Amino acid sequence: MAAVQGGMVDEKEEVDIKTEPQSDGFVNTNATDGRQLSPSPGSSSSAGSSKTAAGAPEDQQTLLAVLQFLRKNKLTESVEILRREAGLPEDALDSKGVDCGAPGSGGSAGGVDGLDAGSLLSRVTVSSSAGTPAPTKAVADDQPDVSVVLSAYSQQGDPALYKVYYSDLKKFIESVLDCHRAELSQVFYPLFVHMYLELVYNNHESEAKAFFQKFSGDQECYYEDDLRVLSSLTKKEHMRGNETLLDFRTSKFVLRISRDSYQLLKRHLQERQNNQIWNIIQEHLYIDIFDGMPRSKSQIDAMSGSLAGEAKREANKAKVYYGLLKEPEIELPLDDEDEEAENEEGKPKKKKPKKDSMGSKSKKQDPNAPSQNRIPLPELKDSDKLDKIMYMKEATKRIRLGPENLPSICFYTFLNAYQGLTAVDFTDDSSLIAGGFADSTVRVWSVTPKKLRKVKSAADLNLIDKESDDVLERIMDEKTASESKVLYGHSGPVYGISFSPDRNYLLSSSEDGTVRLWSLLTFTCLVGYKGHNYPVWDTQFSPYGYYFVSGGHDRVARLWATDHYQPLRIFAGHLADVTCTRFHPNSNYVATGSSDRTIRLWDVLTGNCVRIFTGHKGPIHTLAFSPNGKFLASGATDGRVLLWDIGHGLMVSELKGHTDTIYALRFSRDGEILASGSMDNTVRLWNAAKAFDDLETDDFTAATGHIHLQDNSPELLLGTYMSKSTPVIHLHFTRRNLLLAAGSYAA
Amino acid sequence: MNVFHGAVLGTVLQVMIQILKDMGITEYEPRVINQMLEFTYRYVTTIIEDAKIYATHAKKSTVDADDIKLAIQCRMDQSFTSPPPRDFLLEVARQKNQTPLPLIKPYCGPRLPPDRYCLTAPNYRLKSIQKKVSSAGRISVPRLSVGAVSSRPTTPTLGTPSAAKAGAPVSLTGQRFTVQIPPSSQTTVSKSTTPSTPAVSNVLINPSLIGSKNILITTNMVSQSAATDSLKRKHEDDDDYDTL
Repeated sequence: MAAVQGGMVDEKEEVDIKTEPQSDGFVNTNATDGRQLSPSPGSSSSAGSSKTAAGAPEDQQTLLAVLQFLRKNKLTESVEILRREAGLPEDALDSKGVDCGAPGSGGSAGGVDGLDAGSLLSRVTVSSSAGTPAPTKAVADDQPDVSVVLSAYSQQGDPALYKVYYSDLKKFIESVLDCHRAELSQVFYPLFVHMYLELVYNNHESEAKAFFQKFSGDQECYYEDDLRVLSSLTKKEHMRGNETLLDFRTSKFVLRISRDSYQLLKRHLQERQNNQIWNIIQEHLYIDIFDGMPRSKSQIDAMSGSLAGEAKREANKAKVYYGLLKEPEIELPLDDEDEEAENEEGKPKKKKPKKDSMGSKSKKQDPNAPSQNRIPLPELKDSDKLDKIMYMKEATKRIRLGPENLPSICFYTFLNAYQGLTAVDFTDDSSLIAGGFADSTVRVWSVTPKKLRKVKSAADLNLIDKESDDVLERIMDEKTASESKVLYGHSGPVYGISFSPDRNYLLSSSEDGTVRLWSLLTFTCLVGYKGHNYPVWDTQFSPYGYYFVSGGHDRVARLWATDHYQPLRIFAGHLADVTCTRFHPNSNYVATGSSDRTIRLWDVLTGNCVRIFTGHKGPIHTLAFSPNGKFLASGATDGRVLLWDIGHGLMVSELKGHTDTIYALRFSRDGEILASGSMDNTVRLWNAAKAFDDLETDDFTAATGHIHLQDNSPELLLGTYMSKSTPVIHLHFTRRNLLLAAGSYAA
Repeated sequence: MNVFHGAVLGTVLQVMIQILKDMGITEYEPRVINQMLEFTYRYVTTIIEDAKIYATHAKKSTVDADDIKLAIQCRMDQSFTSPPPRDFLLEVARQKNQTPLPLIKPYCGPRLPPDRYCLTAPNYRLKSIQKKVSSAGRISVPRLSVGAVSSRPTTPTLGTPSAAKAGAPVSLTGQRFTVQIPPSSQTTVSKSTTPSTPAVSNVLINPSLIGSKNILITTNMVSQSAATDSLKRKHEDDDDYDTL
């Protein structure tokens, strides 16, 4: 195949040619109509393995089709070379050439290999006037339009027969054994969507509408939102602007089916004349076959729901260093103020176990922890060291939470927030609270009685005594002391807000496409990071400062450093907006939740996606890492909280209880309790320790990804606390494990 | 006619309500429908106007479907852009992610990008005024006009710099005019040679002169370099430029 010249390699992606990731970027010159058929890297290479049966004859057919194409374009030398290298007989070309006039409506060829040269060629050479029916199209194959070649839907079937094919398949699947039925029913939704889109793309509007009406009711209930969007899409022009749908077309929907069920399906489809369906399955679906028991409906339901199907097993196999970085050794100074700490002061050795409870247990390197310099991190300044000491002191006074010892919840209600509160953040020591509003302002309040002050102007700073002990107070201008400060600068609602760990900076991301860095010493804007040109839905500082991540409507998340005006990493892969971005406690990984209902974990060092978690049935709005770095909790519009084991890449448990979108999730400081806040005006506390205790991951589970979810949400729910019609949009555990919640009163 | 006819309005209203219902939106404020109507009106008029322009350009007497299609297409590319396609993003990401993460310089103070990518520069510039030697009677004290510098490079000042330099009274024609203050350095007002903050010295503002929009005010610095250093962050030179 490599001998084929003329750039044909890139175009023939549905065949077993391994595509390099470079080919993903092969920009189509005719951008309006055509779309590069670019499956995600790795899928096409393994796509070949899934089409095992039709391997060799398919190759042959494709080769012939390619030869035909080259011949038509008068690339005679290439023809000779290909023929020689592929070892094709001379006459095969001509006989197949005649056949290319055969109608593309699937089924004429029949037989084992559904892809005869005719249908393959008709796929290749459909002219841009997509309205004409198949036979005339095959005749007009002397004008292959490059853009159409690359478009995903050039396959022509008889539109009126789509309904027949689909109902046939439905009847078949309903007739199989129970154990296989659940698995094969997974095929319905992607097949339905792709068939519908194909009809729309080829301008068969009335058939598309009829098809939709007949079969959309059969789909699973959790696809309802998608189907609604589809129902409004009746013309080809509508598809053009919808990036999510275009991505859906070009990426492969992943299904996990056991080998037995798959054999059943394949046999059925190849027996009949329904090659249309078989073609679609091969083109648009990636079937991840595993050996073992077919899954039950509940197991499948737990994992499905995302826009791209489930995650392939290979996608979740990379090693993830989920351990925490070692805490730096800090000499604790003798402290006169704090008498309680004096006992520990005198015995630094004894202090170590206390410190270790926050960091890694042993002095040896945790095998699951990344090395200290895996990614460059800023060094610890003196002020940071002081902060750490404060942190450790506070940690000693921390309340140990548990099912018998629930935290107190302190709710910060934003009254009269007519501006529309859209984002809230607390500093780690809970001394400042910042709110982002829909009128594009950011307001910062002081939670403690200590007021907010600005730094003096340059002229005044020259006058102060720099050697005095309280220089940090002297640089502050008393005249500017106030309870709150307003920061103006954005030109759109502020959707994401994040304090830096050293409390010097504040980040805000807005609908105007920029992320702004504000100084909390001068309360002015320092930098505007432009990169997303579309609303940025979330942003967060790294736990060590310096780096921050932002995610927005352009479907990517970007990693920035405060001193670079361009992003350092771009995490691309989601099919829809990135709505939530969170750093792992060790700052080496970033988790992103998206409107395509998946969560991806990205490696900061390489930018690769190392985990894909599917299972939510609605856009994900909040994520939380457990303090030990091993687990991830996610909340979405479907009202469920899902817990994921990062190391194994599996779902651990699902917490049902909320009745509306969950916008806030936070683990307590030791990871014992998980708090969730939602639009249904409640805060719920869950027993996270118990949920993670019952983990049993044997090899089988890890290998096949089967999960057995216990339905123990009621046992894990420790308490439900209702607020007075105030949706909860942010949760924060103070260093002493007091739970703070924030929301805006909705009268 | 810029007004929706009453009967038309009624049917369009029904259509809006139906659209909301079809898309599954059951709860909405009543003003949403008004906003949708306004948007529709504006969009349709824009498209039709554009289409009329295209039709006249093609020397057609009436506007036909092709003109409308072209108008829609051009508007789509302009205002309703959609994010880049996935393959493009993947390619860009691949390239970006290949470069290793840059090392962090220790002990750097606030870690911010080079100055011209920050918003920390002042967005005004003060010019110095020439001490009034002898006025023609119109102006008696050194006066300074305050105005806003909109952008750099500076817009040309009209004629007056030379007049100002000589210390002659400046006419208040509402045009841009500048006045200079001593001391010594007689840098011309309109040049933006030094992009740093000039120190303000001896500035008097005569409120009667404020109000004319295009008035520049700059002041010379006492000692250019000293002020530059004190007000700019201390950086090595290469930090002012991109280090890629």
